[in-house]
Amino acid sequence: MTASNAQVSRMLALVPYVQEHAGIPVADIAAEFGVEPRVIHRDLNLLVMTGVGKYGGELIDIDYDALETDEVVYLRDADFMSRPLRLTGSEAAALIVALRTLRASAEHAQIPIIDSALAKLESAALGTVSAPVDVHVDPVDPAIHQVVTSATNQQRRLRITYTGAARDERTDREVDPLRVFTSQGRLYLEAWCLSAEDLRFFRLDRIESAAETGDPVAGHGARPRELGARLFTPGSSGVDALLDVQPAGAWIVDEFDATVVSNDGGTLRVRLHAGDEEWLRRLALRHADVISVVEPASLAADVTSAARQALAAYDEVSPSKE
Amino acid sequence: MSRRKTERLLNLTWALMATRQHLTKDQIRESVAGYESNSDDAFDRMFERDKEELRELGVPIEAGEFADEMGYRISPDTAILPDLDLTPEEAAVIGLAAHVWEHSGLAGQSAQAIAKLKAVGVDVDTDAVGVAEPRLSAGEAAFDQVWDAVHARMPIRFSYQRPGHEPSTRTLEPWGVVNWRGRWYVGGFDRDRQAPRLFRLGRMSSDVSKAGPAGSYEIPEHTDWREVAYGLFGAPPTEAAVLRIRADRGHWLRRRAESVTTGADGFDEVHIRYGSVEDLAAEVASYGPDVLVVGPGPLRDATLRRLRRAAGAAS
Repeated sequence: MTASNAQVSRMLALVPYVQEHAGIPVADIAAEFGVEPRVIHRDLNLLVMTGVGKYGGELIDIDYDALETDEVVYLRDADFMSRPLRLTGSEAAALIVALRTLRASAEHAQIPIIDSALAKLESAALGTVSAPVDVHVDPVDPAIHQVVTSATNQQRRLRITYTGAARDERTDREVDPLRVFTSQGRLYLEAWCLSAEDLRFFRLDRIESAAETGDPVAGHGARPRELGARLFTPGSSGVDALLDVQPAGAWIVDEFDATVVSNDGGTLRVRLHAGDEEWLRRLALRHADVISVVEPASLAADVTSAARQALAAYDEVSPSKE
Repeated sequence: MSRRKTERLLNLTWALMATRQHLTKDQIRESVAGYESNSDDAFDRMFERDKEELRELGVPIEAGEFADEMGYRISPDTAILPDLDLTPEEAAVIGLAAHVWEHSGLAGQSAQAIAKLKAVGVDVDTDAVGVAEPRLSAGEAAFDQVWDAVHARMPIRFSYQRPGHEPSTRTLEPWGVVNWRGRWYVGGFDRDRQAPRLFRLGRMSSDVSKAGPAGSYEIPEHTDWREVAYGLFGAPPTEAAVLRIRADRGHWLRRRAESVTTGADGFDEVHIRYGSVEDLAAEVASYGPDVLVVGPGPLRDATLRRLRRAAGAAS
């Protein structure tokens, strides 16, 4: 949509909104419509030039005293549009896809509410809404989801058993939940971990068991962290590795935001930053068919040694030589 | 669009809303500010274009007869937002939905929709429900054009770049978009390959161009475009495997185990279901000597292939 079409579209929603909320501050209108206050001022200045006819009495009027002294808005002579138009296809599609996203991350008991809201919204739109848009969120155990959501809403402490993502470990910990959210198609719990004494993200599908301890959460003065585009932005600490990636593994470059250093006939040399050397070692073993480690030498040696130990173990379980 | 045109479109909308009877073109030309100083032809063209633009903006202009002449109006019955009778909880989830988009265009569209609902007295108090707070971003350069093309059923042409490959030009009849693991994909009929294909928006160039008019193809019936995207989600776990996992290791595999039998040699025998040989082999190999495949053979071979490559890399 062009900027000026967007202006017409916004003003069609603005006129009934301002009438329903007589005396509303310009700043509040701007926040509601997600634009700067000066945009609303420009809209209002244009609005008073319009009306049902060309003559004085037929134009929309605004209380300029109130606007100039108190920055609040009163419209007059706009009763022909005291109620908004139905939702346009684009408005309905934006909201419907957002609701589907909520639905994909919602807990079982909330799904009927979202479904009925979706049905009512579709009836509010002009014509039929086609929104061929799907948002996938990885499923999690409904019982865990329920316990975690309820503890978060009620602000109760949880005891969880968690299987780490980077390291191969399984731990029991007590956590004070802050919020449940979805990022990159997965559900997470952000909570204060009492053993780490810090905020941690927990993937819900990696929580094996969760139960309330019976205690309320304690105030740790911690606020939810701002999420970047990628959830775990590598910091300055961690490990840098140089890898050779075969053409068949080129997807790894995008998947892990690696930087391509050179391209030798399709084999890419890439630099990858990771928080943890164990994570890198497991990545290199996992995709050993398409990745080989160039640097650091210690990582390359670790990978080789782990693979040799594994091959030796196969010789034990199956005496026939490979 | 000039300021004058914006004013004219609003004037036309207000006039057509305020009237009970259909307004004829002559009446419109006479009473709506902005059409005065035009020749008959110029007025006709201008009025037709304005009508079309307003329709595209979701303003339903109705044509009808008035005193044997063709006239226009906006009928409140079809145009005005009806009462939705939302429960407080339904209103609350809609309020939450308004914050899902982290994309300025779609966030703006959602905000506008919410403003319309609030103008009919809907109270969106998001504290009424505790739902996870999802965020949907769309930083891909091609997103806006693909989103519009999908909604308009408009064929598109774009340059597609897979890492390590030369970019190629593709022509697609888009059927739908899917967000998976935070990334956007578009599925549809690839005219060059003459088959359904899935493309990742992040690998498309930003200069997506129109390859045909809107509405110029049908999405084949009985074709769920999501099936095109099915490859993303992986095969369902139907095959059975037996693994030997060192005590207190391989936790993520144990999470999915059907049974675990403790062995005397420090290894447990773990039965597990899987969908893809290669995916499970990759997972097993990642644990090195802590997880070994007992069977089936193809899984063992796929795992050994990785381990041999890893073992030989430094020799």
